[in-house]
Amino acid sequence: MTSTTSGQGIELRLEGRVTAYTAAPIWQSAVDTLTRNPDRPVVVDASRLEYVDDVGIAFLFDLVRRERPAGAKVEIRELAPNLATLVRAFDPKDFAAPPPGRRPTGILEQMGRAAARQIAYAKQMAVFLGACAAALRQALTRRGVLNWGDVLDIATEAGANAVPIVLLVGFLMGLIIAFEIGLVARQFGAVIFVVNGVGIAMLRELGALMTAIVFAGRTGAAFAAQIGTQKVNEEVNAITTFGIDPIHFLVLPRLIAAMLVVPLLTVLADIVGIFGGALVMASFDIGFVQFYYQLLEAVSAGDFILGIVKAAVFGLTIAAVGCQRGLATGSGAASVGLSATSTVVTSIVLIVVIDGLFAIATS
Amino acid sequence: MAHLRALSNRAAADAGAAAPVISVRNLRMGYGSRVLLDNASFDVYRGEIMVILGGSGSGKSSLMKNIIGLYRPMAGDILIDGRSLVTAGADERAQLQRRLGVMYQSGALFGSLNLLENVRFPLDQFTTLALPEKNLTARMLLRQVEMGHAESLMPGELSGGMLKRAGIARAMALGCDILLLDEPSAGLDPITGANLDRTILSLRRNLGFTFVVVTHELQSILAIADRAIMLDPASRSIIAEGKPAELRDRSPDPRVRQFFNRQPDAGRQQAAS
Repeated sequence: MTSTTSGQGIELRLEGRVTAYTAAPIWQSAVDTLTRNPDRPVVVDASRLEYVDDVGIAFLFDLVRRERPAGAKVEIRELAPNLATLVRAFDPKDFAAPPPGRRPTGILEQMGRAAARQIAYAKQMAVFLGACAAALRQALTRRGVLNWGDVLDIATEAGANAVPIVLLVGFLMGLIIAFEIGLVARQFGAVIFVVNGVGIAMLRELGALMTAIVFAGRTGAAFAAQIGTQKVNEEVNAITTFGIDPIHFLVLPRLIAAMLVVPLLTVLADIVGIFGGALVMASFDIGFVQFYYQLLEAVSAGDFILGIVKAAVFGLTIAAVGCQRGLATGSGAASVGLSATSTVVTSIVLIVVIDGLFAIATS
Repeated sequence: MAHLRALSNRAAADAGAAAPVISVRNLRMGYGSRVLLDNASFDVYRGEIMVILGGSGSGKSSLMKNIIGLYRPMAGDILIDGRSLVTAGADERAQLQRRLGVMYQSGALFGSLNLLENVRFPLDQFTTLALPEKNLTARMLLRQVEMGHAESLMPGELSGGMLKRAGIARAMALGCDILLLDEPSAGLDPITGANLDRTILSLRRNLGFTFVVVTHELQSILAIADRAIMLDPASRSIIAEGKPAELRDRSPDPRVRQFFNRQPDAGRQQAAS
């Protein structure tokens, strides 16, 4: 683009191609010229324009739409008729309002909105748990409400396929606990009591807790993603229009499968965790036989049962959170992922809180 | 077929084109071991509106995805302005793909951006225009497809038809002179569909855009298409090529006439009567 002064006015001569890739410097230069000459008429010579695209049309429109004093208007000359039609098709009044932008939100507003979201979520969860409790009661009192085939399939996927990772995590947990306590206990000549620590910690707390955390990350997120995708694909709507309650069809099998599977996985975690502890104790010169008898003295059936009950409650919690987040999935590409990650975070927080409540209740 | 080719060449000459902007040569495409189309060849000339039509499952959208380079053909070649998309290196392939503006079946807008930001996205990525200039361009594009009132809305708040129109606006943002539209009229009410047809014709008339449109909306085909090719899933081939009105009235292939005249299959006709 070239700019020349002719008499009272300014002439801008456009040449070549004005496209998305070439328009930036031309547009800026033209706007600068108009700004520097607010009271002079401007003629835009478009006779040598070879090609414009939509950005070029926007550029030409931008020049003529600007408010300037009478006698200082912008006029485009010798623009091809087809392009002139396109430029004239737009009304400057339609672009007078500023474009929509994103309003910045302050920290207080963000905190307020987050708190409101948590309250709304708590309400949703309460309603959901009520529906689940009603469905569970129906399943236990009426035949045909629950499809045990679905329960078995879900339990197989959630349980059997999680065995390797639960074994690994449980084993390492027992190993680490025994090692850490053993290093301290050795200073006081009380290494034998590490067996008590490992046994009680694994059976009462860590077996159930670590299994639940693995289950939340692996299966809780999967529940949320599966049901969330079904929600996005309108499969949940299809189930409802068949007269089937999604809570009975989708949620109940998952709740029951989780309540059955997490305790079983916890038993495995307990066994391999204690075995890991035994291995470490062997390095502290406590043999397997001595470990075994010390363990029998240290722990009771109540410790084991407490761990199993906790595991069932954790399983129920994780499945409930996963299913609720799945059913609450919104639209859009990020929604299913958000449901899955929200499930894991919420589940872990609730597990720790429930564990604390159990500790208080059993103290 | 020679008769249909003659129709096709006359139509191509009518489009006023020299070398084709898109050439498909001996294309074989499909998924895994399933072949949808075999040994298909056709050209699209500058400034023409070519419609790809056929029944459900005939491979129309898959053909379009092969043309835009999303899928690799099993055999054959696709040329954009004489340059092979199939054998191009990564950089050249990206360059060729940027020449094509694509509107996907559901719009494919980005859910976290509002409509204005969606249409502005290609300008943000590939140009050095200032923000006010990009905003003006994007707003004008939305007005062209009659979506100017919705520029602050998020994709999740729009109907299917509105998403398609916004998708067309985004496809035009970089001034791509070859636009490929996948089922643009599907789900639109008749008035909106007619308005969209009018927009397509206006862009071709005023800016010389070339269009490849995948559709089976008969009214739209007859309103906008210069030429059409018809895919047949049974024979996995192109069974017709030419001007839609001529195909409807004079095609020797009964499948083509059945399609254009919207006739049910013979068995279903008897059952209905």
